[in-house]
Amino acid sequence: MFQEVILSLSSGFVVTIEIFFLTLLGSLPLGLVISFGSMSRFFPIRMISRFLVWIMRGTPLLLQLIVIYYGPGLLFGNNIWGGSGTGRFIAVMVAFIINYACYFSEIYRGGIESISKGQYEAGQVLGLTKRQIFFKIVLLQVIKRIIPPMGNEFINLIKDTSLARVIAVYELIWAGQAFIKSDGIIWPLLTTAIFYLLFSGLLTIFFAWVEKKLGYFSS
Amino acid sequence: MAILEVKNLKKSFGKTTVLKGINFSLEKGEVLAIIGSSGGGKTTLLRCLNFLEFAHEGTITVGGQTIYEGGVTDIHNEVEIRENRLHFGLVFQSFNLFPQYNVLENVRLAPTLLKKGTPDQLEKRALQLIERVGLSDKLESYPCQLSGGQQQRVAIARALMMEPDILCFDEPTSALDPELTGEVLKVIKGLKDSDSTMIVVTHEMEFAKGVADKVIFMADGQIEEMGTPEEVFDHPKSEKTKAFLQKSQEKI
Amino acid sequence: MKNLKKVLAVLLMFVMVFAMAACGSDDGGDDQGQAAESDKAYVQDKGTLVVGITDYPPMDYEENGEWVGLDADLSKAFAEKLGVDIEFVVIEWDNKIMELDNKSIDMVWNGMTPTDEVKKGMEVSNPYCTNGQILVMAKDKIGQYQTEESLKELSFAVEAGSMGQGVAERLECDFTAVQTQADAVMEVAAGTSEAAIVDVLIAAALVGEGTSYEDLAYGLILNEEQDVVGFRKGSDLAAELNQFLKDIYADGTMLEVAEKYSLKDFMIEQK
Repeated sequence: MFQEVILSLSSGFVVTIEIFFLTLLGSLPLGLVISFGSMSRFFPIRMISRFLVWIMRGTPLLLQLIVIYYGPGLLFGNNIWGGSGTGRFIAVMVAFIINYACYFSEIYRGGIESISKGQYEAGQVLGLTKRQIFFKIVLLQVIKRIIPPMGNEFINLIKDTSLARVIAVYELIWAGQAFIKSDGIIWPLLTTAIFYLLFSGLLTIFFAWVEKKLGYFSS
Repeated sequence: MAILEVKNLKKSFGKTTVLKGINFSLEKGEVLAIIGSSGGGKTTLLRCLNFLEFAHEGTITVGGQTIYEGGVTDIHNEVEIRENRLHFGLVFQSFNLFPQYNVLENVRLAPTLLKKGTPDQLEKRALQLIERVGLSDKLESYPCQLSGGQQQRVAIARALMMEPDILCFDEPTSALDPELTGEVLKVIKGLKDSDSTMIVVTHEMEFAKGVADKVIFMADGQIEEMGTPEEVFDHPKSEKTKAFLQKSQEKI
Repeated sequence: MKNLKKVLAVLLMFVMVFAMAACGSDDGGDDQGQAAESDKAYVQDKGTLVVGITDYPPMDYEENGEWVGLDADLSKAFAEKLGVDIEFVVIEWDNKIMELDNKSIDMVWNGMTPTDEVKKGMEVSNPYCTNGQILVMAKDKIGQYQTEESLKELSFAVEAGSMGQGVAERLECDFTAVQTQADAVMEVAAGTSEAAIVDVLIAAALVGEGTSYEDLAYGLILNEEQDVVGFRKGSDLAAELNQFLKDIYADGTMLEVAEKYSLKDFMIEQK
């Protein structure tokens, strides 16, 4: 039994980890785009970006998953995801990436706006392009400043992956809960905590390492 | 022929007019000191020359070529603005070094990114300039490990690296502890000896007197008095100049 | 304060254990004697029919402080027929036989499946309602699926760990396990699964006219079960109820009540 449980939890954990990394892969760059949008001098783009951020931060991710997956079929009679496990997983990724990109965009925005104007001007008078100023001068300073809030979001994300089960993506909690319904035993569900703790422990170590790595300068 | 000619430069922020028509010219190798109380438009003038602000009216001519004309020049043409900007260099009051780069990297970053030479050439030149500001022993140091005076000297080397026709200083010693101003002023004085053209906005009257070829006293967005240091400091004509000099004497 | 409560609770437990032991030894035989005589007479004598239920819509559930539902409504009619008052008691489902034997309730009418345990420990009525798992699909397609064999090509949504999942596994269908039966039905409506297998009672409540799922319908019943009513072992009320069911089926009252809870399709003819 023990072996069966660990095997089942591990396969759930693989899905959890997949959601985690693919979400980051999509939302870290998308968040930057949205943050530029919400700082844009062009009013419509700024409004659209901030509206999107308002919607995605202002509603539960759980609800977003349901709307994104079931919405097309229920509201427009056109299920775009298909019923397969792949379709479900893609829907989860879409919801997670957009949701987290919105959170990241606000963190980026805070970081970018906290960099002093002098840094941009110093770059300008040296003849650098906007792109060079952002990527070669501002970005690393922004990264250093947003490490603590990012650490929080990463750890939230690993726990939020458990929401994927509402559209029947079999992640870690699902695997644990299945044993309650089929065999009436609760300890597998409680055991999932160990997986989450191990992973968030690794994240904590990783962020401490990055923080130390960037500790050589102060901005 | 004058290397820099500024004609009728005007700039306002909203309803406040900050520059009310500035005219002056500068010969190659000359040092111009701009003095005056704060709010007089000195810093705005420098920022207009470096295109951090754009004058609404007036022209800026460098080496006989008009590089800016208020209302005519397209200020959204990034490429052109960036190119013309390089006629000028600017050293900020608050240094604005790049904190994540060490001294050597700070100095050679911009020319490297803009491909102004081979890496070897640029490194050699950067080392020369750092030596000139007396920081050869700090090549690997990061800005946070340097004193204010040292940071400002790095900033000067960084500006020189782009070989501007005219190097501007915006109150380069105002953010420094009094005992650190000397080392920075010494470096600027050294540049005069090597024939650099400079515009220095400063509160250091002694320095202006000793180093400048030309002094401008600005008040309320206008040039109130312009002339040699002797003319402005020893025989001021305008009442405002006299009052200002009187006050700065009292401070000491 | 908390400690006092704990002490009281423990004391109370001791008292109850002793009391029960005493009752068991003294009155046990007596009780059974009475049931063997006539349960009907016993109930009519005390003037109240006590029905053991759980909160189980649409069979028994509370609405505006009153118990309603198919089973609750039929219980009320039966009590009226007996000429007694009715009282509903929510019981711990696993203790239903004990409750009957203890005479704390007189019957169990709660969509009960006649399991071996029930048949052994209770007197049961004739089956009156079909229960089990049922196929839910889009209205326009469900007609093509009349046999278990034909279901194999479909993709199903079922509640994880439910009887429906058991059926899907037995038929070796492709299925997705979702969190609740309601979710399974929503999957079909959204088109993310072709069909669902849910409990009959849930299908009756969720699907069809007047619901959000008017385009869905239920069809083939899988794992058919037939609900019964339970009495004390040897009670003559079982026979009484069978006659009552026959009467109300014949005069249409039973179907009328069932209609109210969208369960008309599932009532069993009483002959």
